[in-house]
Amino acid sequence: MAINAKDVEWVEETPMNFWEATYLPAVFDGLLTTGAHVANNRTVTEQYPEQQPKLPTHYRGVHRLNRDDKGRVKCVACMMCATACPAHCIEIVAQDAPKDDPHWADRDKFPKSFVIDELKCIYCGMCEEACPVDSIELTHIYDLVGLTRQEMMFDKEKLLSVFDQTKDSGIDPIRTHKGKLGHASDFTDLHTLGPATTVRADDRSAKAVSSGVISN
Amino acid sequence: MQFINDFLSGQWNWIVGMLPEAAKPYAMPGLVIFIVLNVTLGACSYLILLERKLSAWMQDRLGPNRVGPMGLLQPVADMLKLLLKEDVIPGHVNKFLFVLAPGISVFTTFLAFAVVPFGPVPKGLTAGDGQFPFIIAPGIDLGVVFIFAIGSLAVYGIILGGWASNNKYSALGCLRASAQVVSYEIPLGMSVVGLALLCGTMSIEKILLFQAERGIYGWNIWYQPLACVIFFIAAMAEAQRLPFDLAECEQELIGGWHTEYSAMKWGLFFLAEYTHVITISFLTSILFFGGWHLPFIAETTSNYSGVWMVKVGVLLAKVSVFIVVIQMLRWTIPRFRFDQLMSLAWLCLIPLAMVNIVMVMVVKQFELNEWWLLPGSAAIFLAAGLMGTQSTKPFARRVAAPIETPGHGGHGHAHAH
Amino acid sequence: MATVLVNDKSVEIGPSEKLNCIQAAQRAGVEIPSYCWHPEMSVVASCRMCLVEVGDKKPDGTIAMQPKLFPGCQTPVKDGTVIVSNSEKVKAAQKATLEYLLLNHPLDCPVCDQAGECGLQDYSYEFGRGYSRLQEPKNIKPDKDYIGDQITLFTDRCIMCTRCVRFTREISGTAELQVISRGTHEEIDIFPGDPCNNKLAGNVVDLCPVGALCSKDFLYEQRVWWLKTKNSVCPGCSTGCSITVDQNEDVLYRLKPRVNEQAQGHFMCDEGRFGWKYVQSEKRLKRPEQRANGQVVSRDWETIFPAIRNAIRDSLIRSPNKFAAVISPWATVEEAYLLATYAKKLSPHAKLAIGPVRVVGEDDLYPKDVHGKPEPKTKFTIRAEKCPNRRGVEAVMQQMQGSVIEFSSILEGVSRGEIEALYILGGDPEGWISDSDATKLDKLKLLVVQDLLESAASRKAHFVLPGAAWAEKDGTFVNHNGLAQAIHRGVRGPEEARPDGRILMELAEKKGMFHAPTLRKEIAGVVPALAALSVGELGELGVKLEQAAAVEKPQLQTV
Ligand code: SF4
Ligand code: SF4
Ligand code: SF4
Ligand code: SF4
Ligand code: FES
Repeated sequence: MAINAKDVEWVEETPMNFWEATYLPAVFDGLLTTGAHVANNRTVTEQYPEQQPKLPTHYRGVHRLNRDDKGRVKCVACMMCATACPAHCIEIVAQDAPKDDPHWADRDKFPKSFVIDELKCIYCGMCEEACPVDSIELTHIYDLVGLTRQEMMFDKEKLLSVFDQTKDSGIDPIRTHKGKLGHASDFTDLHTLGPATTVRADDRSAKAVSSGVISN
Repeated sequence: MQFINDFLSGQWNWIVGMLPEAAKPYAMPGLVIFIVLNVTLGACSYLILLERKLSAWMQDRLGPNRVGPMGLLQPVADMLKLLLKEDVIPGHVNKFLFVLAPGISVFTTFLAFAVVPFGPVPKGLTAGDGQFPFIIAPGIDLGVVFIFAIGSLAVYGIILGGWASNNKYSALGCLRASAQVVSYEIPLGMSVVGLALLCGTMSIEKILLFQAERGIYGWNIWYQPLACVIFFIAAMAEAQRLPFDLAECEQELIGGWHTEYSAMKWGLFFLAEYTHVITISFLTSILFFGGWHLPFIAETTSNYSGVWMVKVGVLLAKVSVFIVVIQMLRWTIPRFRFDQLMSLAWLCLIPLAMVNIVMVMVVKQFELNEWWLLPGSAAIFLAAGLMGTQSTKPFARRVAAPIETPGHGGHGHAHAH
Repeated sequence: MATVLVNDKSVEIGPSEKLNCIQAAQRAGVEIPSYCWHPEMSVVASCRMCLVEVGDKKPDGTIAMQPKLFPGCQTPVKDGTVIVSNSEKVKAAQKATLEYLLLNHPLDCPVCDQAGECGLQDYSYEFGRGYSRLQEPKNIKPDKDYIGDQITLFTDRCIMCTRCVRFTREISGTAELQVISRGTHEEIDIFPGDPCNNKLAGNVVDLCPVGALCSKDFLYEQRVWWLKTKNSVCPGCSTGCSITVDQNEDVLYRLKPRVNEQAQGHFMCDEGRFGWKYVQSEKRLKRPEQRANGQVVSRDWETIFPAIRNAIRDSLIRSPNKFAAVISPWATVEEAYLLATYAKKLSPHAKLAIGPVRVVGEDDLYPKDVHGKPEPKTKFTIRAEKCPNRRGVEAVMQQMQGSVIEFSSILEGVSRGEIEALYILGGDPEGWISDSDATKLDKLKLLVVQDLLESAASRKAHFVLPGAAWAEKDGTFVNHNGLAQAIHRGVRGPEEARPDGRILMELAEKKGMFHAPTLRKEIAGVVPALAALSVGELGELGVKLEQAAAVEKPQLQTV
C-alpha cells in the first residue's frame, strides 16, 4: 500500500557544524567511547551454569496451573487465557463438573484437557493477566529443555505438577487468599474499583459511602 | 640472534642441497608461499577471535571463553565446526559458479598478497642467492597497480556467488557489491597516485625503501595525510568491512550474497575478508607509515645481527595497530545507507583525491618544498568540511519535502532540490 | 402518516403499523434496551429495562411529557408521540434496573456459556453502573439440570423475564415451563414429570437473554466469540428456516434461527437444530472411488473424472436412450441445473428424475392447544416433506425435459432393462434407498453415485463421488412457498469430499470456478421459472420466485 502523501511528515535534516561536516572528529569520538569500554575492564556477563541468575519477582517462565484448597485444578475452563494468548498456544477442552460428586459440588465447569505448547509460547504473561480465577501463572522456571516437540506440550497434569513443584520454592508463592502468602487475587483486601461508568454527581450511587467504593 | 640466523640458514642450505638441481630456483619462493599461506590462515582465525573478544569488551561482555584457556582454542573449534558442518548446496543454484565463487574470493585475496613485502626486502634480489626475500614476488614494479587489479577481481567472487545463489537477497547483495567496488576503485587508485608521483615508483618495496631511507620525516603520512585517509576508507569499502558491508547487510538482505552459503564455503568468504583486512593493514603501514622503519631501532643503516627479526616485528606491530583500528571501527560506526555510501565515494572521496593529486603535481612541477603538502592537505580537508556545512544547493544532502501545488492537494511528488 | 419523535429525531410510521416505542426507536437507529419483550410474544413489561420518557406533541407545537417513566415495550406510538431515551432520568433508571437485575446474579461469566452474547453483559457495559452496592450474600438457587432432554437451567442466572414461559404457552402451546414461588424466590421450573421436550423447545435457549437456559448439546463446547457465522438455510424440511451456521476451525457447533418473516419467522424446530450431526458422521463418503468388479481401482479425483466421462460416453454409444440422471431434492438449484444440462448435452434422450422425496407424517402446526391439536392461528409449521429443495429441482427439470420423472419409475426402468447407465446425485442423509430397491440397481452397466453418506447404492456404484453437506457448499434452496434462499459454505468437508457444484463443473468440463451467484444469473436466463435468481446475490432474506412463474405441480410421468 502506497503511503498517502499527507501522512508523510517531512523533517529537515539539521545542518551540520564544521567539525561534524568533517566527520573524522565524530569517528574518533566513537572510537574513544568503544576504546574506553575495552579499557574499563568491566563485564556484565553472567557465567551461566556456574553463576545462577537472580531473577526479578515478575519474571515470566514456565506456566503452572494452580490448585484450589481442595486440591482440584483451580481453572474453570473459561478459556480467557486461550482467547488472550497472542501465540494461540493454549488448547482447552472443557467439561461440566460431575453433578453428583460432592467434591465438585461448587463447580460448574473444569478443563478436561489443558495443553500449552511451551515452544509456541512467547512468555508474554497475557494468560496470567486474563485469568479470572488466578489459575494460570508464570513461574520462575526458565531452564526448560526437551528432546521432542511432544515433550514441550504441557498438559494439565504436567502443569499441575509444576505448581506442586514451585509452590514451596519461595519465589513462586501461592498468591491467593486461600494460601498463606500474598494477596494478588484476594479481592476482599483490595479496594473495590470505582465507578466504571460515568455517574451523575447527584446520583445516589455517586454519594454512596458503602465501604470499599471510591467516590469521586 | 646471530645463532638463530646461522641455524636457520644452515638448515635451509641443507634442505636446498637435498633438492634436485631443476627444483632449486623454486625452493625459496615455495618456502615463502608456504610461510605466508600458513601464517595468514592462522592469523585470520585468530583475528576472528580477536574481533569477537574486542567486540565483547566494547560491550562489557566477556567474549568466547569456554574453549581452551580464555577461549584461545575457539578458532580451532570454529574451524572444526565449519569443516564438519553439512555443506548445503541448494537445488536452485547454478552449481558450478556457486562452488567456484568462494574459491575466487580466497584465491584473489591471497594473490594480492604476493607483492606485499612483509619484512626488510634485500636490495637487488635475485632468485637463489639464499637470502630470504620477505616477499613472494619480488621486484614487481607495478606492485600497487597489481594489488588494485587483483583486489577488484575479488568482487567477482561476490558477484558470482550472489548471482549463482538464485536468490533475491543474494542478487541484491551482489548488485550492491559491484556498484560499491566500482565506485571505490577510483578513490583507492587516485589516493596512491600522489604517492607514486612523490616517490617516483609504483613498486611497493621501493616506496618502502624510499621512506626508510629518509627516516621518520620521510614517512609518506607527513606529505599525504589526506591520501592516507582516503586510501584507508576506500580500502575498507573494497574489503566490504562494516561500516561498508552493504552487500551482506543482515537487517535488509539476510546475508546478502552469502545467504545461501553454509559450512566451509561460507567460511572461505570470511577467510577472504580477513585476508583482505590483513592486506589493507600491510599496505597502509607500508605505503604511509614507513613499513618496517622505526627511528633508531630499525633504520636502513642498522646492521646488528637479527635486525631482520626486529624489522619484521616492527612491521607486524604497525599492521596489528591497523587491524585493531579496522576492527574497532566495525563495532563503532553504524552501517551506511546505500545513497550515503555512493555520495561518500563520488561527492567526497573522488574530488578530494583529485585535488590532492593536483597539489602534488604543483609541488613537483614548481619544485616547492615537499613540506607544503602537509598544510595543503589539511587546508583541503578543512575546506571540504566547510563545504559540508552548506546544506544548500549543490551540497544538499537529501531530497526535500514536496512543495504543495494548489489543486493537487497533498499529492505533490517529491522533487530533488 | 404518523410522525414520532425519538430523541429529537423524527420517524415516519405507516398508517396501518402498530409499533411500540422500542420498534419506533429502532427505526430512528436508537436502541432501547429490553429483556422481556419479544416481537412474537405478548407484552408483560416486567423487566423494566425499557423505561423511557414518553410525551405528546400537541398540534400547536407544545410538548407535554408524562411525569413518570413508561416501559417502552408496552407503550404504543401514535402521531406526535415523543420518546426520550437518553435523558439523565432514563439513564438513571437503566442503571437502577440493571443493578437490581444483578443483585442476585452470580456473575460467573467465565463459566457461563452465554458470555459473549449475553444481554446482561452487553447492557451492563452500555447502560449499567459498573459496580454493585449489595453487601448481603447473594441468593443462590440450585441449578436444574433437567428441564428437557436438550435443556439445562442455571437457575441463579435467570432474570425472570419469562420469555421462556411465554414461548411455551404462546408459540409451542405446550406450556411446560412456569414460574414457581414469588418475590426473590421466583424460579423457572417445569411441572413435575413434564419436561420441556416439545419439538420447538430449543428456542427457549435462544430466547433466554442470559445464560440461564442452556443447550446441553452446545454446553461448554466453545466460547461463542470463537465461532464464525455464515447464513444458511435449514435443510430439515421444506419450510426452509433461515438459520446461521456457527463453526470454529472447520467443526460445526450449532445452528441458530435467524429472523426471516418470509420463511419461518423467528424460530426453528429441534429436528433441524439438533439434526445436523450427520455432517460429522463417520459414514460420510470421504474419498472418491472407482470400482471394477468390486475392487477399488482408483481413489484419485484427477483420474476419476475422465474415467466417468469415458464410461458414460461408452454406454451412450452402446445404447443412447438408456442413460438417466437422478437429482435428489436435497441438491441445490445450481447442482440440479449443472447435472441436468450435462446429461442433456450428452444425450438429448437422457432421462432426468427427481430423487425420493421423503414425506414423514403430516405437517406439524404450532401452537397446540391443551389436547395437542393445532390452534387455529398457526405460528410455526414443521413440514412433512423432509427435503429442502424439491421445488427448485423440479423447476429445473420441468424446463429441461418438460416433465418430472419420479425415482420409482427409474427403478422400474432399470429392472426392465430400459436404463443401463445411471447418475445419482444424492444428499439425503436418511437412507433414501432400501436394500431391496438397491438390488434392482445390480442390473446397471454403469452406476455413478455422488452422495453424502454411505448407502446401499454407493456400495454398488462403479463410481462413488463424495459430495458436500449443505453446510459445506454454496447454493440455492427453494422452499415450499417458492422462496429462494442462499446457503453458504461454512465448513470444509471431510478429507477429499468436494462441494457438489464443483464436482459437476469439473465433470462437465464447464469453464470457470463454481460461483453460485454467477451460476444463478445463468440459470435465471435458462429457466424462466427461476428468473428471480437473476439478482445473483440473494441477500439475507432470499427472493420470492414470481407467482406467475411458479411451477405447477408437475404431471407425473412414467418411463
Ligand atoms: S505467556 Fe503469552 S504466549 Fe505464553 S501461553 Fe500465556 S498468553 Fe500465550
Ligand atoms: S487458566 Fe484461567 S483463564 Fe485459562 S481457562 Fe482456566 S480459568 Fe480460564
Ligand atoms: S448470564 Fe451473562 S452476565 Fe450472567 S454469568 Fe452468564 S454471561 Fe455473565
Ligand atoms: S430462564 Fe431465561 S428466558 Fe426464562 S425467565 Fe429466566 S432469563 Fe428469562
Ligand atoms: S422489555 Fe419492556 S419491560 Fe421488559
